[in-house]
Amino acid sequence: MSDVVELTFPVRSDLLVLARLTAAALASRADFGIEDIEDLRLVVEELCLSVVGNETNGTIHLQYTREDGLITVGCSLSREGGSDGRADGEANDMSLRIIEALVDEYGENMVADRRQAWIRKRRSKVAS
Amino acid sequence: MSGDAGNPHTPHELWVKFAATRDPSLRDQLVTENLGLARRLAHRFAHRGQSYDDLAQVASMALIKAVDRYDPERNVKFSTFATGTIIGELKRHFRDRGWSVRAPRRIQELYLELGTTIESLGHGLGRSPKVSELAKATGASEEAIVEAIEAGQGYRSASLDAPGVAGATLGDSLAAEDVAVTLIDERSVLEPALASLPDRNRVIMKLRFIDGLTQSEIASQVGISQMHVSRLLATSLAQLRQAFTADL
Repeated sequence: MSDVVELTFPVRSDLLVLARLTAAALASRADFGIEDIEDLRLVVEELCLSVVGNETNGTIHLQYTREDGLITVGCSLSREGGSDGRADGEANDMSLRIIEALVDEYGENMVADRRQAWIRKRRSKVAS
Repeated sequence: MSGDAGNPHTPHELWVKFAATRDPSLRDQLVTENLGLARRLAHRFAHRGQSYDDLAQVASMALIKAVDRYDPERNVKFSTFATGTIIGELKRHFRDRGWSVRAPRRIQELYLELGTTIESLGHGLGRSPKVSELAKATGASEEAIVEAIEAGQGYRSASLDAPGVAGATLGDSLAAEDVAVTLIDERSVLEPALASLPDRNRVIMKLRFIDGLTQSEIASQVGISQMHVSRLLATSLAQLRQAFTADL
C-alpha cells in the first residue's frame, strides 16, 4: 500500500518549511528514525533548491510517496518562460553532494513536460 | 586553493596507501586536500546563534574522522562518505548546543527536552528513536514532536530561512554565499581585497562571513536596515569576486 501526497506552492523561501514539515510528517508515519527524518528534511530542501535555482517566479510541485519503509519525493518547477530553473553550478554542486550522501537513490525524469528531480530514502534497518 | 569537495585530484592510490600505512603525513595531506568540503558544509549549516568558526571546527574534526574511517575498497566516493559523516556531526553539535528557536515557548521547551531524550532513548534502543517513541517518552503528541524538530532545527543557511530579499533568488543567495566561503578560504587573496573595501562594508562582511551573524542581526548591530545590509553585502561580494578572479 502506498500514500501519495502532493504539495504545490509558489517559489518563496519562507514556504520551504511546508516541504520540510510534510517530509517529516510522512517519514514519521513510515516509522523512520529521527536521524533519517532529519536527513530527509535536509534533502527535500536541497532538492527544491536544485530544481528552483535562479527562478524568482513559478510554482514548486512536490509529490511524496510513502510505501512500506520507503519515501520517494519528486520535485519539479512550473513557470512562465524564463530559465530552466537550475541553480548556479557551485550551489547546485553542493546540493547534489548533500543529496547523494543522504539518500539511497536519486535521479531525474520528465513529468508533464517538466524536469523532475527525485530522491528515494529507505528506513534504516536499525530503526525498523 | 579552495579545495573541491572530495578532491577529485586525490588519486585512489593515495587512499589505498594511507589505508595500508596510516602514515600521518599522508593523513595530513588528505585532510588538507578536503578541507574545502568541510568548510562549505559548515557554511551551509551556519545559522543564528552558531558562529561559522565553531561549525567549521566541528566539520573539520568530522573530516579527520572521515579520513580515518574511509575504506577505499568500498564502492563509495570519499566526498559522499565524508559529507554524510560531517552532516551527522553538525547535527549532533546543534542538538547538543541548541540554538535560537523562533517558536512558542511550549515548542522551545519540548525541543530542549527532545535533545536529551533522543540521546538517552538512542543509547537504550541502540538505534535512532522513532517519533512515536519520542512522543511516548515526552508525553507530547507526534505532531508536536515533528513541529518541535522543525522549529528547533533551523540549521539551514540564514539566507533561506530569512524573509526573501527583493530581487534575490534562492540560488543567488546560496551561490553568493558559497563564493564568499571560497573567498574566505583564500585568505591571502581576500585580505588585500577586503582592505580595499570601505570600512563599513568590511565590518559587515566580517560580521556576516567570519562571525556568522544573520543580515538582520548585522542590521541591528550596525544601525541600518536589513535591506541595506543585503545591498552592501552584494556590492562587496561583487568587488571581492572581481579581485579574486583577477588574481587567478
